[in-house]
Amino acid sequence: MASLIFTTTSTTAGDYIRSFADLRRQTRLLSGCAASNAQLGRRLPGVVRASRSSPRLNGRKLRVAVVGGGPAGGAAAEALAKGGVETILIERKLDNCKPCGGAIPLCMVDEFGLPLDLIDRRVTKYISMVRREVLDAYLRGRAADAGASVINGLFLRLDQPEGPGGSYKIHYNEYSAGGRGVGERRTEEVDAVVGADGANSRVAKSIGAGEYDYLIAFQERVQIPEVKMEYCKERAEMYVGDDVSPDFYGWVFPKCDHVAVGTGTLTHKTDIKKFQAATRLRAKNKIEGGTIIRFEAHPIPDHPRPRRVLGRVALVGDAAGYVTRCSGEGIYFAAKSGRMCAEAIVKGSENGTRMIDESDLRKYLEKFDRMYWPTFKALDVLKNVFYRSNATREALVEMCADEYVQKMTFDSYLYKRVVPGNPLDDLKLAVNTVASLSESKCLEQ
Amino acid sequence: MLMASLSPSPPPTSLSALSLKSHPSLRFQSILFPRKLPSLLLSRSADNGAGVVSSAPTVVQEEEKEKKNEEETPSPAVAEVPKAEDEQKSNLAANGAAVKAEAAAVPKFKDTRWVGGTWDLKQFKKNGETDWDAVVDAEVRRRKWLQDNPEASSDDEPVLFDTSIIPWWTWVKRFHLPEAEILNGRAAMVGFFMAYFVDSLTGVGLVDQTGNFFCKTLLFIAVAGVLLIRKNEDIDNLKKILEETTFYDKQWQATWQEDQTSSASKEK
Repeated sequence: MASLIFTTTSTTAGDYIRSFADLRRQTRLLSGCAASNAQLGRRLPGVVRASRSSPRLNGRKLRVAVVGGGPAGGAAAEALAKGGVETILIERKLDNCKPCGGAIPLCMVDEFGLPLDLIDRRVTKYISMVRREVLDAYLRGRAADAGASVINGLFLRLDQPEGPGGSYKIHYNEYSAGGRGVGERRTEEVDAVVGADGANSRVAKSIGAGEYDYLIAFQERVQIPEVKMEYCKERAEMYVGDDVSPDFYGWVFPKCDHVAVGTGTLTHKTDIKKFQAATRLRAKNKIEGGTIIRFEAHPIPDHPRPRRVLGRVALVGDAAGYVTRCSGEGIYFAAKSGRMCAEAIVKGSENGTRMIDESDLRKYLEKFDRMYWPTFKALDVLKNVFYRSNATREALVEMCADEYVQKMTFDSYLYKRVVPGNPLDDLKLAVNTVASLSESKCLEQ
Repeated sequence: MLMASLSPSPPPTSLSALSLKSHPSLRFQSILFPRKLPSLLLSRSADNGAGVVSSAPTVVQEEEKEKKNEEETPSPAVAEVPKAEDEQKSNLAANGAAVKAEAAAVPKFKDTRWVGGTWDLKQFKKNGETDWDAVVDAEVRRRKWLQDNPEASSDDEPVLFDTSIIPWWTWVKRFHLPEAEILNGRAAMVGFFMAYFVDSLTGVGLVDQTGNFFCKTLLFIAVAGVLLIRKNEDIDNLKKILEETTFYDKQWQATWQEDQTSSASKEK
């Protein structure tokens, strides 16, 4: 019988990933009295109240602060404002060029009605490359048009409400228009907070959401000669190998007039420069003669935070940790989770007329988890099986040449669901996968 | 030839295009200890004096530089570039474990039988039939080579080789049968002694054992053990793999399992 046990030669995931109980325990240490107060509050029996019985807000609308103006924040603020909720969107850097691969699936263009001129490049018709600064600004603009007030400010911290119906006090530094400098200290009282402030979320810290393991993605923007740019225009390349990354991949993604070359890793962060050099080597023929115009790095969450909702504060997007393994895709899930959270708030508050509580936010969690859990899990399985060693990566590359695989992958990527195919073909695919992995392992010697 | 002149702290500036054939290559004059790559061709040098190596290598691997951070890179010196890859390779081969001041070149994989991105089966004929074992050997060598010397990918020379062209019985004969022999041997030994001990302890003979549920369970455990646990490390590996399969699920469900209060916890 073929040996199907791929011993964990190169992956150190088992050693590295802290037991998540440790992560939870940390939240108690980190959060201090604010979270523990909230925890005590929730320990009271029979406190869960349905939103229907929530008190109506007299003479005012529900006020929600969205912290962070990326895809998650922009989508959330727009949906909230459209739903009749008074929304403020706090973004610290309105012209931020977030380091990002910038690939969005077709379903995002459809579901969010993105105009086609936002998209720099189309890699096959399924994957669109955007510049984050362009996308983020567009979504924020839509939120503002819907009635949200966009504030250029840096969120500092939030204070928990005094009693069960109290409001959250958020502290932030507001930057004057165009002005640099420290900014003015301001506070706002809001009924709920949506934390969309990315991988290093301060809102998450405020609620003691806990830590997650994260990858470091490092990327260089390379300006290449026109003739080579032509070649790269419609192609996104991914390189796999121990030289490029032990648990992720290196990429060459086309942007408007340059390409982004990068790689990432979770387990060997200190070697990221070495991996980047290896990626450049692999892409040598495409980027020869180019100039590095900038380089950037950013953390990518590996899994959701232990706590994503506390009281009337919810996390969305990267702040919550919604990034797929294996491919590192997060923009679509950020926007979708922002929208879902906002819709849950709108529904629970009956268009801003009632107070909401934690159960309404948990409905958003439930919906999101149910809808996208299979996708995330499938990619986790792919990562565990195919990123283990060079042999399994060779098998992956071989499998990708298979037409049925391509069809299935694109369909799933397109719809963000795990789309079942023809059972006979699936069986053939399963056999091919096993054979490919087994043969590759034999060749590994 | 891709060069990057990078300095340790400020942002890197340029990659200049150099073709292997014509331009001189950038080379760092200063001593750069090549990082220990898996390749056998590089070795750490403890005494890089002038830092110039007569033979070849042209490509500077930036990683060597960056990781090393010990030395500044002064103005990159220009050194001679070897005429062709082949010469490079032969030089390297001749030097063997020669001391190099900077990174070695990245010699491409070359084999006369590797044609157009795949193995030319006509060149593997033995007695009029394809010698699949030789194909497997060649592919093993190629993969090992690439692992040690990663190459730039190129759409002009794509890799078209697919392991599925090698017939299934080659794999079976070469890899699976020896393994099966070993495992069957182990199973036979374990089985014989287990049967003996059970017989001596309980008096149930071999034939009767095969009808007994408990004995059949023992047999199942023995077979599973032989299949799954081949080395001592396998026990830990299996535990890790098992944990790995459910770890992600736990991470996602963390937000649902709050503080052991039954009202808040929900199982997926």
